[in-house]
Amino acid sequence: MSENRLLLRWRRRRVPIFFVLPAVITLLAITVFPLIYELRLAFMSWELTTSEPARFVALGNFATILFHDSRFWSSLRVTLTLLLFGVSAEVAIGTGLALLLNRLRRSRTMLVSLFLIPVLIAPVVAGFQFRMIYHDQFGPLNYLIEMATGGRWRGFAWIADPKIALLAIVMTDIWQWTPFLMLIILAGLQSISLELYEAAEVDGASAGQTFGRITLPLLLPVIIIGILIRAMDSFKLFDIIYLVTGGGPGNVTETISFYTYLQGFKFFSLGYTAAMAFLQLVVITVIAQFFVNFQKRQAGRG
Amino acid sequence: MKVYRGAILWLVLALVLATAAVAQAPPPLSVVKWDYPPPFKNVTINVVGDAGHNLKPYEFWKGDFEKVGITIQIIEVPFEGVYEKEKTEFVAGTGAFDVVTFYPAYIGDFAGNGYLEPLDKYMKKTPASAWDPNAADVLGPFWELYCKFDGKVYALPIDGDVLMLQFRKDLIENPQEKAAFKAKYGKELKAPETWQDWLDIGQFFTRKKGAKLAGQVLERDFYGSAEFAKRGFSFAWFLNRWAPFGDPYFDKDMKPQIASANAVKALQNMVDSLKNSPPDVLGYGYDELRDAFVKSTVAMVVQWTDVPKKGDDPSQSAIAGKIGVGRVPGWPIGGKVVHRSMMPVGRVVAVAADCRNKEAAYWVAKHISYDRSLEDVSTALTGLDPYRTTHFKNPQAYKMFPTEARAQDYLKGVEAAMADGYPEIFIPGAAQYEDSLDLHVNKALAGQESPKQALDAVAKEWDAITDKLGRAKQIELWRKALQAYSSLGLIK
Amino acid sequence: MRRWSPGRKAFVFVVLLVALLFFMFPVVWMFLTSFKSEAEYFSYPPVFWPKSFSLRNYFNAMAFPPDGRGGLQGLRDSLLIAAGSTLASVLIGSLAAYSLSRFKTGGENLSFWILSTRMFPPVAAALPLFLIFKQLRLLDRHLSLVIANTIFNLPFVIWMLKGFFDELPVEMEEAALIEGCGRLKAFRLIALPLVAPGLVATSLFCFIFSWNEFMFALLLTRRNVRTLTIIVPSLVGGHEILWGEIAAIGTLAIVPGILLALLLQRYLVRGLSLGAVKG
Repeated sequence: MSENRLLLRWRRRRVPIFFVLPAVITLLAITVFPLIYELRLAFMSWELTTSEPARFVALGNFATILFHDSRFWSSLRVTLTLLLFGVSAEVAIGTGLALLLNRLRRSRTMLVSLFLIPVLIAPVVAGFQFRMIYHDQFGPLNYLIEMATGGRWRGFAWIADPKIALLAIVMTDIWQWTPFLMLIILAGLQSISLELYEAAEVDGASAGQTFGRITLPLLLPVIIIGILIRAMDSFKLFDIIYLVTGGGPGNVTETISFYTYLQGFKFFSLGYTAAMAFLQLVVITVIAQFFVNFQKRQAGRG
Repeated sequence: MKVYRGAILWLVLALVLATAAVAQAPPPLSVVKWDYPPPFKNVTINVVGDAGHNLKPYEFWKGDFEKVGITIQIIEVPFEGVYEKEKTEFVAGTGAFDVVTFYPAYIGDFAGNGYLEPLDKYMKKTPASAWDPNAADVLGPFWELYCKFDGKVYALPIDGDVLMLQFRKDLIENPQEKAAFKAKYGKELKAPETWQDWLDIGQFFTRKKGAKLAGQVLERDFYGSAEFAKRGFSFAWFLNRWAPFGDPYFDKDMKPQIASANAVKALQNMVDSLKNSPPDVLGYGYDELRDAFVKSTVAMVVQWTDVPKKGDDPSQSAIAGKIGVGRVPGWPIGGKVVHRSMMPVGRVVAVAADCRNKEAAYWVAKHISYDRSLEDVSTALTGLDPYRTTHFKNPQAYKMFPTEARAQDYLKGVEAAMADGYPEIFIPGAAQYEDSLDLHVNKALAGQESPKQALDAVAKEWDAITDKLGRAKQIELWRKALQAYSSLGLIK
Repeated sequence: MRRWSPGRKAFVFVVLLVALLFFMFPVVWMFLTSFKSEAEYFSYPPVFWPKSFSLRNYFNAMAFPPDGRGGLQGLRDSLLIAAGSTLASVLIGSLAAYSLSRFKTGGENLSFWILSTRMFPPVAAALPLFLIFKQLRLLDRHLSLVIANTIFNLPFVIWMLKGFFDELPVEMEEAALIEGCGRLKAFRLIALPLVAPGLVATSLFCFIFSWNEFMFALLLTRRNVRTLTIIVPSLVGGHEILWGEIAAIGTLAIVPGILLALLLQRYLVRGLSLGAVKG
């Protein structure tokens, strides 16, 4: 009797662990080595373009990055700007579209598939299309602007104007990733039980109240995760920058991922790159922690 | 489902047809005399290079390789990924590549780190007709600076990139324009010789829509000149203006010379040139710059030498038959005008140090670099450009020009440009030095820094890079490089 | 659901139209460019509608030199890797997400650690991963890319699904458990179907992320494995950008994704699963 109960208790405690085990093992197995390798490297100076061996520099890399590398800070600033404007717009537009599509029934499948295409297009390919579209003289965007304003305005030098280039990149990001937010919010909307809406209708709630009291709180976890994923991925944005502006003009569109790529793959300054990677990890962790806490507080309130 | 099956069948058919189309090769010419080496025993040679038409030669001459028992396996890498891919494989010691194609600015890195096999002893094998790559045939700057390192030969050239002046012959020779120019500037209108001419002529030809150009009314704004002002290679266009002064990148103690008054003058000239350029010039990479010229938006450009090949094709160019070529402008120094043309990019092939069939790999490299090189650089099927005297002395091979005379003109221009050739930095750390220069040149062009600020920043960063990489070793390598520069008369 | 007034309907229509224009313009541009000839890529005024719809760019892209198999191999390899990585990530990840949601296994630390593996800049992880796969002799094999992609997709899957599981009330599984159903069964038969919309979205994006991944595809492959993301930049030479071919491959490359999206949308419907359980 007691044996069975013990077994049951053992199994009950083990079950959750078994569920998580495959994921943990997979991640652990492959990421442990790179993480330790990079951690070690972060404290060394290893310039692979020379034949000098790696040498220990303690916090030297970190000091250089934080206090002597204006490019690190400017690229961080560019990335955070991109993140702020891009992700906000993506969330706003994505939520709006999701709400709309949620109400449609017949045309939804086709519309969702169409809206998803920007996400489907490889960033590499998208980069080239935007290079054509943003072309000052031969590009369709400026041509359409010119036609629309009757020739009075010929549009911007999207890629070449230092004041506009980052905006062009943000627009590209919004174009490509809003559908991502749209789809996961739509999925989230689909998971909200109909009963809640029916109850609200019975209670005589207005559309605004329904949205504010029911929809939004239930959607919030999904939205926050979406923002989190987008925030993390914004730090990785590379292909578009590389292809469309090359980080320029000057360094107005040089994001931290681009700069890290240069350090890691063009300069092969491996120690420096590792240190930069860990600093980025810190920044992203802070941002992520903020959102996770925010979500927990919201969940607590619900 | 039927639709899908049909589409797949169609795709397969298309694939088969297209493969048949791809299998064409340029007709073999009998200009270069070469011989087969003694056959190898069923050797597989892995060739790595940037994907696209520049790998086609290995397809064209597959038969040659098979005749001596060599099977070629191609590993393609995207153009922008060549360095990191090859470097990663070398660092990890995978031995995946036998023949390596790379951009010669990296020769310091690859040769200096022992990834490549010195080729001198293979070049001397007999019979010479099988093994000698004819170094004397390669134009001096390219051979001395891009194929050798630390006194030894490590690579053979296959693509000679150099910048060349290209301009609208029809506009320069137009009598009305000539008269107006003489009246305004007090000198003859001809292809710019100096960078001051570049500014004057550029200013002269910058006109708004509706104005007259060579007797015709302009339907769009027209500009005098354009530059490669995008991040990536904008530094090379700056170096065109600085190199004539004969100051090396560093002095013999690795002190950067880039912040001198000459350099500031050079950068200022480039910044001033933007006034005569289209408003989106800061976004001009290779394609945009070429299009600005061949679609008749600007009157003059300095560009790679392959542009006129396409420029004479009426289906792609609005200015077919109107292109003039010349030496990149220079500065009057000591009584005459000194010209220098940057040699950005370019391609060389080398043998990996851990290759297991070095002789066979060497012969593959030599075959492409010498034996079949004329066919490869004169055809429109590749993007390879001439670099040997043999290439320049055989205009009849260049069938993409309507007449042999035009080919001759073109080749004379390229040869002159290459004789003025000036290299990228090629010691270890090249990518870092050049990126720093490119960033600040670009900032100066964008107005974020003044030329002096920009170049001072570069000098500071270059010092930091040298220290980071190990000053003593860099000095040692640079001094050897300086000898090569001196022997070619590139520095004073 | 409330009925809409005609004014509302018009508003919705206009909004959707504007959204469609914004999101579809570059797509349509790409599609049309894939049929253009070289002279039509850059001109003033720009060419919107190609003079003749030539399939030449498609031929060229698919039969990419030097061995003529470029495009097809790219499609095949990308498919294998994306499908493999998605399957692995979703299978492993859904289990973990369930556990994190229901049992709060490992608490905050575990779930945050899992998320953090996605935060690490791939550029820095590239060389050590290359060395690992070299040791495992997995270079230039599909498995290495499946693993590499799974590593970055797992945290995404886990966190997304955890969110969806969190939304799910526990009552239904509890009911099943009381009736003697094992945890795994409850997970498989109740929880999973109920988060179907979340699963759909997550799987789709897993597939897309792997499909479009470039850096590891570049480093971990040579010739046996070549993904579409490598083929596309290969269409860019130093002196030549094959705009039309790029657009052609780009167009072809979105087809599997669209098919998948169409296929999976059946499950993106609310009530389908709820109804099944209730009954």
